[in-house]
Amino acid sequence: MHQQAQLRLKKDEVEKLGAAAYVVLAMDRYRAKVFKEENLLLSRGEGPFSKEKSLVFATALSDPAGHASALYGVSRRCVRWGSWVENHPTWFVIDRRGILSYAAQPTFATPTSYVDDIDRVLDELKKAAR
Amino acid sequence: MKTVTVRLRALAFVWASLLVLPPPTVWSQQPASPMERYRKLEFPPTEENFDKGWQDRVTLEYEIINFADLASLRIALKDENAFVRSMAARALGIRADKDSADALAELVQADPEYMVRIRAVEALGYLKMKPEAIELAKKDRQLGVQWAAKIVAGLLTSDIDYAAEVRQAFASGIKREVMGAAKVGERAPDFTVQTLEGKSFKLSEVLGKQPIAIYFAVFDG
Repeated sequence: MHQQAQLRLKKDEVEKLGAAAYVVLAMDRYRAKVFKEENLLLSRGEGPFSKEKSLVFATALSDPAGHASALYGVSRRCVRWGSWVENHPTWFVIDRRGILSYAAQPTFATPTSYVDDIDRVLDELKKAAR
Repeated sequence: MKTVTVRLRALAFVWASLLVLPPPTVWSQQPASPMERYRKLEFPPTEENFDKGWQDRVTLEYEIINFADLASLRIALKDENAFVRSMAARALGIRADKDSADALAELVQADPEYMVRIRAVEALGYLKMKPEAIELAKKDRQLGVQWAAKIVAGLLTSDIDYAAEVRQAFASGIKREVMGAAKVGERAPDFTVQTLEGKSFKLSEVLGKQPIAIYFAVFDG
C-alpha cells in the first residue's frame, strides 16, 4: 500500500510518460477490490494519507491462484502475518518493445524507503519510454 | 491324473503371478496424498525458507486445492503442524466445504497460531457462514486476524461466489517449468488475470504499446 500510495503521488509523471501502471494481487477479486478502493491501512493514525479514501491509481488485477505471480517468480515467497500466501513484493518495468527492463524488490528498510523505490521505477519508466 | 494337471496349472499360475507382480515392498508404497507431501515439504513456508523451495510450495498448493480429498483436508484441520492446518483451512474454504464450518469456526476462536486463525476466518468468508465467528475475530488479540476478519466480513453479504472464481483459477493448473520465467532483458512472459470487474486481462494485449510498470503487491506493502 505504501508503494502504491507513493506511486499515486507521481501519477502525473507516469501519465506524462504515456506509461501504464498495474498492481497484481495474488488474492481473490473481492480482496483486490478492497485493496484498490479502501484505504484500510494508512487511514489509521495521523499520517499524510489518513484522510484519503483510496491510495491506488494503478489498475488493480486479481491473480487468485497466484499463477502470474509464480510466472514472475514472486509467488509464495513472503511470510505475511505468519503465513505464506502472499507475494514477494516486486516491481517490474517493461519497455515499449515488450522487454522486461527492470525488476526490484522493495526492502521496506526505512519508513520512507518507498519514496526512493518509486523514484527508481520512474527513472526506469523514462528509459523504457524511449 | 486330472487332479495332478489342475494342481500343476495352479502352481504355474502362482509362479507366473509372482514373476509379474511387483515385490511386496512396492505394494505398500501408495503415492502420498498432497497434504501428506505438504506436511513433509523440504522447505516449509517459514521465514528462513524465503527463497528456497517456493516452486514446491506453489505446486503442492495447486494439487491440494484441486485434488486433495475433503476427508483428508478435514482431518488436517487438527494436524499438529500449523502450516498444515492453515493450508487445510484455506483449501476447505476455496472448495466450499460447508461441512467444515463448525471446525473452521472452532479454529478461528481457539487455534493458538494466528496464521491458522486468519486462514480459517477467510475460509468462513468464502463459505458465507458463521458470521458470529467472523465478528469475534474482529476482536482477536492479533492485528492480522482482526484485519482479515474486517475484510472478509464483506464476503458474507456479497452475491458473488468468489470461492468459485478462485477454484476456477486453480483449475487451470500450473506448470513447474514456467515458474520464475520472467527475466530482465527478455520478453515479458504473458499472463492472464482478472480485472476488478471480473473481466479477463491478458498482458500480451497491452504489451509493446507503451512502457508498463507492474507491481506484485502484498496487502500492506
